[in-house]
This record gives sequence, C-alpha cells and structure tokens, in this order.
Amino acid sequence: MHIFILRRLLQLIPVLFGVTLVAFLIIQLVPGDVAQVMAGEAASQAQLDQMRENLGLNDPLIVQYGRFLGDLVMFDLGESVRTGQPVMDIIAPRFIITVELALWGMVVAVSVGLFFGILSATYRNTIRDYGTMTLAVVGLSMPNFWLGLLLIYWFSIQLGVLPTSGWGTWQQVIMPAITMGTAGAAVIARMTRSSMLEVIDQDYVRTARAKGVSERLVVYKHAFRNALIPVVTVIGLQFGYFLSGAVLTENVFAINGLGRLVVDAISQRDFPVVQGAVIVLAITFVFVNFLVDIAYRVLNKRIDLN
Amino acid sequence: MASNEQTPVLEVKGLQTSFFTPDGEVKAVDGVDFSVNSNETLGIVGESGSGKSITSLSVMRLIQHPGKIVGGTIELSGEDLLKKSKQQFAKYRGNRLSMIFQEPMTSLNPVFTVGSQIAEAVRIHKKLDKKAAWQEAVNMLKLVGIPAPEDRAKRYPHELSGGMRQRVMIAIALSCDPELLIADEPTTALDVTIQAQILELIKELQEKSGMAVLMITHDLGVIAETADKVVVMYAGEVVEQADVKTLFKQPLHPYTQGLMNAIPRHDIDLDELEMIPGTVPTPQNMPSGCRFAERCPYARDLCVEKHPELATPSNNVDEAVTTGQTRCWIYTDEWDGPNPTKGVATNQ
Repeated sequence: MHIFILRRLLQLIPVLFGVTLVAFLIIQLVPGDVAQVMAGEAASQAQLDQMRENLGLNDPLIVQYGRFLGDLVMFDLGESVRTGQPVMDIIAPRFIITVELALWGMVVAVSVGLFFGILSATYRNTIRDYGTMTLAVVGLSMPNFWLGLLLIYWFSIQLGVLPTSGWGTWQQVIMPAITMGTAGAAVIARMTRSSMLEVIDQDYVRTARAKGVSERLVVYKHAFRNALIPVVTVIGLQFGYFLSGAVLTENVFAINGLGRLVVDAISQRDFPVVQGAVIVLAITFVFVNFLVDIAYRVLNKRIDLN
Repeated sequence: MASNEQTPVLEVKGLQTSFFTPDGEVKAVDGVDFSVNSNETLGIVGESGSGKSITSLSVMRLIQHPGKIVGGTIELSGEDLLKKSKQQFAKYRGNRLSMIFQEPMTSLNPVFTVGSQIAEAVRIHKKLDKKAAWQEAVNMLKLVGIPAPEDRAKRYPHELSGGMRQRVMIAIALSCDPELLIADEPTTALDVTIQAQILELIKELQEKSGMAVLMITHDLGVIAETADKVVVMYAGEVVEQADVKTLFKQPLHPYTQGLMNAIPRHDIDLDELEMIPGTVPTPQNMPSGCRFAERCPYARDLCVEKHPELATPSNNVDEAVTTGQTRCWIYTDEWDGPNPTKGVATNQ
C-alpha cells in the first residue's frame, strides 16, 4: 500500500509539469501586454521597453518558463500587476473560502446523492424510485445560479430566516452549499442507483442473505461496498467541477472566493493572478484525483497497480 | 439409513412458487412434496427449467421479487418455516439451514476477506465477539481442508481458486452446524477432479455432523455418488421418487429412463448419445395433461388429456420394486395393456 501511494505520487510529477506548462503558455498566448498593463496607457515606448526588460519578457520562452518554475517551487507566483501584492497572498484566503464552499457542496451532494441513490435502487420500479429519479432530473437540469436565486427569494426574502449573502457563519453556509450540491447530488444519485442495481442481483449478495445477514446490512454492507467503487470516481470528478464552477454560486451569494477573484483578474488583465489561480486549481484537481485513486485501491481489493 | 419413525429434518408439502410477470403468473414449482431425514441425502435431479433450483431457493426463502411462494408448507424439524416472520426466519437462515451455490467464483463478496465472510455468519448466529469469530473462521477453513488456514483467512476471494472458494462457501454454510445443508449444483462449475473432492468433503462433513443434505443437480453421476433418496423433477413437478438403488435399477418414468440413457458411459461403445427429443414446456403454455407427453415415446391420448398424479405404481411393475412413486399413467390401472417401456433397450 505504501509503495502504491509512493508510485502514484511519482506519477503526479509529469502531470504537474504539464499543468504548469499549459498555465504558463496560455498566459503567454492570450493577447494583451503585461508591461502595458503595469505601466499604464500613457507610458512611452522607452518606459515599456524598460519595463519588459525588468520583467524578463524579452528572454526566450524556455528561460521564462524555467524562472516561472523556479519561483513556483518556492511558492512564489509573482506579484499582481495591479496592486503589486504577492499573488500567493491574494489567492490563499480566497482559495480557502472556495475549498470550504466546495466541501460543503460535496457534503450535500454526497449525502443526498447516496441516500436517494440507494433508496431508488432498493425500491426499484416503485413510486419512490420514479419520484427520486424525476427529482434527480430536475436537480440536474436546473441552472445552479437560478436555484440560488430561488433559495434567496424563499428563505431570505419571504421567510427571512437566512442571510442573502456573505460567508463565515453557519447560516451563510446553508444556501450556497445547497446551490452547489444539488446538481452533484443528482449525478451521484443516478450513478449510485445504477451501480447498486448492478450489484444487488450478484451471487455474493444472495450468499449474504443465505448467511442470515439482515436485509439492511445486505444492502449497506455487502451491496453498497461494491457499488461504491464507480461512484467514487464520480464524486472525485464532481469535486473538480465544484472548484471550477464555484464562481456562479460565489457571485449569487456575494462570497469572496477564488472564482470571483479570477473573473475580476481576467477583466482587469491581471495575468499573474489568473495564472496563479489556474495553477492552484489544477494542482488541487490533480490531488483530488490522486485521493480517488487511493480510495479505489482501498475499496477494490482486486486492483493491483503495483 | 434413518428410520421412518423420526420427524424429518425437512418436510416439504405441496410447495408452489410462482413468478408474477407482466405476461401473467408463471408456475415455476407446482405442488412439490419431499422430505429428508438427518444424516440422509436427498438428491433432486432435473434439467434446466425443471424448478429444482427454485425449490431449493424457496426452502431458504430466498425467492426474490417478482417470485413468490404461493402455497404449501415447508417444515424444518416440524416447524413451519413459511409461518415465521422475516425476523424470526433470519435467525434460522445460515444457522439451522444453509446453502451453497453453483458459482463459487461469484458467490463470495470480492471486497471482504474470506475469513471475515465466514466470521460474519458465526457472529450473527453464535453471538461471538470479533476475535472468537475469527478463530472459528480459521477452524472452519481447516475443517474444509484448506491448507495454512490462518494465512488463507486473510486472503480475498480473487486470490483463491474455484475449488478453494467452494470450500470457503462450504465453511460459511457449515459454520453454525446446520441441521440441513442445501447444495445447489455445488460442483457444476468445477473441473472433474475438484468435483469429486468437493462431493467427498460434503459427505465426510455430513458423517461428522449428521446433517441432512439436499443435493440439487442435473448430473445423475452426482446423485449416484451422494444421494440416499432421489426426487426427479420435470416442469415444476416431481415425476418420480425412489431410493437411489431402486431408481438406478428400475427407473419407472419415461423421463427418468431418458435421463439414464443420456448418461455417457465408458464401459459401452456408443457412437451417439441418446437424447430426449424436444425441450421442457415453458410455464406459459403448460400442457393440461401429462407435462412430459409431447416428448414421451409412449404417450397415448390418455396422457395428453389427463394429468397423472404422483402415486405408488399399481400396474406394470415388478412386485420387488414398489418402494418409489411415479407420475405416469403406465403404472396405473387406467393403462390397459403391457408396459411399453419393458423390453426397450436401455443402456443401463
């Protein structure tokens, strides 16, 4: 198991190289001039040239990339061209908020999704199953910003029980978490249902019944442990979507997360911030996938990747 | 063999199990009776679709929706199992009666160690703590002849061979000393040498514990090897029952005779195996007369028109072999004329 984890970690290295390279190149390739942004519209050609020289923009790309990587391993993502603050300092608090938001969204998505998925499978082709799956389609089809607005309308304006915006107190967590988690819950519920249906008729489930295992344990232990394996992949992917899709929820509830930061940075052409955010998100995504791989291995003894 | 006085371990009377499909009720098992005593093996033989597996699953109350037991009684040492609530019956299942299945490759849960799967049954029924249950699991593995049981108990099913896995299944089934073991085609998926070992193991364990065994198979070889009494099933009904010697010496029902003729033999040179023409009638269009009539070489109008009962033969049979029962018009008084199956060469 330790060897397995070590191997997976080593395999991350080329992936991370690729991620940084793409993030680096995207910023190089988009139109717009960092020097121009920093120096302002009124700057003379001489000032611009000086600026470029100082920033190292005249060096060959490969040299710039090397410098970029060197800084990166020191956790230095450069400075904002707007404010001059280190990008790391700008991103870090925002990133934590977005991760919190995504995690709360996951709590909703996983708990609701698994519960209804199992319910649907154990009562297959009954009214409960049809009801749940209809809800899932609704949840999946509803744009989450609209759901967020509806929630604000009901709970904040009509009932006045929850705050409309902000982040920090538990009351402020509820609606954004539901907004984020609903679509994920629908995907997880559907995946869980079909996965459960695949295993519920397996011989080993019948064996468990024949041993005298209670029906509840047959479903939640013997069937679910096997059904969970494909569901874990979906959960991992959902977390990635949550991180990158947080911007909508953040905007609806005025949460100062990473998503809003990126949107602002893009409109201000604050390239180092955009780049930094892209890298941080990409690394997080890669890391989540790594965790999914480990979870796979723990759940499914037949996988032997050593 | 056990005396006839004792209460049978398992007594099934008039068992009816149906599946309720969109096309209507399908009677998979239609009025089956049999009984098994302790230390006795009853073989149930029949081809695919004869209802033998549904019969065994009915005894375990493992029939899944849309199937349902619609009639009859199943008594375990005199207690009617069908009258028990689900919770009550769960205490019996895997404890007083247990079952092993045809597919050892898929019958064990791939995500748990074999030891924990045995220990689970022990913990449920014997209320042992984790450690004691694990020790019991190791003991069971040893009992079923698995070498290095301490080590094997920690293995996952995919790390064991098919024969080993069937031994593990037997260990699970016998871990709580059941009065009745149901073995549903326990050797069908195994290769021939392993088959013999598994049958030998079941016999040996039966001698030790005195449990009753219900051996479900399509293979008359397995029956000859293990059974004391035999029930032959066809299209959801019992068509013949007898003790094993009688059955092999003088099979009465034309279907049983057909099965016997279809056994490949190594002592007679045959170019071609005999076979029974046609297939088992589907439950959707079950004949109203004898269910075997359309495949039977001796069928008359009587057979097609009237459904025969399972009865002790009263006609066309030697006095010496009247221990069994069969469901065929030939052996009733309504049949005028000689026994058409007599003198027909069977390769027995």
